[in-house]
Amino acid sequence: MKRPVFEEISPKGRIGLLALIALLVIALGAVILLSLGTGAVHVAPGAILAALFGRHPLTPTEQIILLQIRLPRVLASALVGSALAISGLMFQGLFRNPMADPYVIGSSGGAVLGACLGIFFFSQVSIFGFSATAVLAFAGSVLTMILVYALARSSSGTNVVTLLLAGFAVSTMLGYSSYFFEALDSSGSSNHGILLSWLHGVIGIPQWTQLAISTALFLIAAAIATPLMRRLNTLALGDEYAHQLGIKVEHTRIGIILTGSLLTAVAVSLGGLISFAGLFVPHVARLALGPDHVRLLPVTALSGAIFLVVADTLARSVFAPTELPVGVLMAFIGGPFFLYLLRKSKRSYAL
Amino acid sequence: MNPLLSFQSVCFGYDDSDVIQSVSFHLHAGSCVALIGPNGAGKSTLLRLAAGTLRARSGSVLLNGTPLRNRALRHVARTVALVPQLLDVPFQFTVRQVVEQGRTPYLGLLRGPVKEDRVAVDRALDLADVTGLQNRVFNELSGGERQRVKIALGLAQQPKLLLLDEPTQNLDIGRQVELIDLLHFLGDEGITIFASIHELQLLEGNFSSILLLSPEMPLMEGTPQEILKPAILEKAFNCPPRRHPLLLERAQQQTKRAG
Repeated sequence: MKRPVFEEISPKGRIGLLALIALLVIALGAVILLSLGTGAVHVAPGAILAALFGRHPLTPTEQIILLQIRLPRVLASALVGSALAISGLMFQGLFRNPMADPYVIGSSGGAVLGACLGIFFFSQVSIFGFSATAVLAFAGSVLTMILVYALARSSSGTNVVTLLLAGFAVSTMLGYSSYFFEALDSSGSSNHGILLSWLHGVIGIPQWTQLAISTALFLIAAAIATPLMRRLNTLALGDEYAHQLGIKVEHTRIGIILTGSLLTAVAVSLGGLISFAGLFVPHVARLALGPDHVRLLPVTALSGAIFLVVADTLARSVFAPTELPVGVLMAFIGGPFFLYLLRKSKRSYAL
Repeated sequence: MNPLLSFQSVCFGYDDSDVIQSVSFHLHAGSCVALIGPNGAGKSTLLRLAAGTLRARSGSVLLNGTPLRNRALRHVARTVALVPQLLDVPFQFTVRQVVEQGRTPYLGLLRGPVKEDRVAVDRALDLADVTGLQNRVFNELSGGERQRVKIALGLAQQPKLLLLDEPTQNLDIGRQVELIDLLHFLGDEGITIFASIHELQLLEGNFSSILLLSPEMPLMEGTPQEILKPAILEKAFNCPPRRHPLLLERAQQQTKRAG
């Protein structure tokens, strides 16, 4: 008795995939419109569309709210979601493990250290539209990843388990550095609050220059990631087999780690430590589409963006005027959905 | 004409000691050769050297007369495929997706699979008789099915030389015979077979010659009749002759012939 084949539940061939991508693009447009209209001043999506096509201009107040406050934030959340999802997909593929997430080799620890320096010492400084917190978190994240890779590397190449363990140790160590900063801080509780929400992920209202630079970095990383997807499929057979097939395993691995790290750093600099999206989105995409990374990349990128735009909209509107950190909200919506899918899929995960 | 594969005084070791000590032999196109020897004698190592994933410490491995070390692994992989003992695939990759990876040596970073690659994958699935399994999840297959899929993966490389590391391991006797039949069939298709095997009773009639690799003696080469002698096996495998049915049976046959 044969088990049902996987192809039955995944869209067939190229046309199915393209249709799914088109559907996700439309969905992303729709959630962005809805999100723009949501808030203390409500603007109907129809009114925004009419204004977009030059029919019915918005009032000046509406324009300011939409263009200067909501739009940068909505775009930032889409960018963060997409970056985290792609990065999670790459690290899950590289480690051949569905439990990996964008922070798996320690970038979060370095980001915490950088963000603490920014929050406690340079809160007034800004560079090219980036806050010092964003720049230092970005730098911390990338530097940690390089440090971890250097620590795990030996003459015969990099052992994946050593890489994970080194990442865990460095990340935990640096992550706890926040307590020292808090202990030394004399300014009272405001910094504490900022740090706390940063640690749970909060998407601010970025300057347009920061958004532009982040988008450029994101696009570069996504462009590099595209040809690496087929490499991830081959690496699934194991390092030795990939080597036998003529793949330069070590070079490929560095490429994947650097690209994944760049994406994580972009996300961290815009939204702090947002957990869950990077673990959850690639997972769900894989349940629906199967594990072929080439097909997963566009779907994961778009779903990540949609997921985070929705989550961030809820985070700022459900308990308005109080805002929840988006990471907290995401855990509460994503968690049950994720568990439901795990139960429903019935396929045991082989590690 | 150059032999397809030659080992010339090849030495190799993972640390200071040598696992493979000055091994020399030729493998001619169209032959079907078994590699036997006790555990730890270096059979897997020898196959890896032949596939180019390990580089000889001294001596050289020649493919069609050219040293492997002078050629990129990518190019070697278009002539030689190694079917490993174990293939562990994470996630729910389907059989077809796994076999498609065999086309990697023909693809570039920016050159994706084209029609020619799909044809090669179809053919590999067909040759290994796993076309019916192509949409199944690799991890959910039985041991015998997996073994055939691993062979299809190797065949997708369109190799002239197929190396197999203990292909009959963990197979029941029925699946062992099926696998041997598959090797025969591939031989008829013009693919040279070089397989390490522990099931000595499968050798006669199925392999044209045997290489015996043992730390107890220098590499021996010969027909199954020449190699499968109790005296040789007893020494090579360090196995007391009265303790194994195969050796007993061989000894009886010998006495009969002598009598």
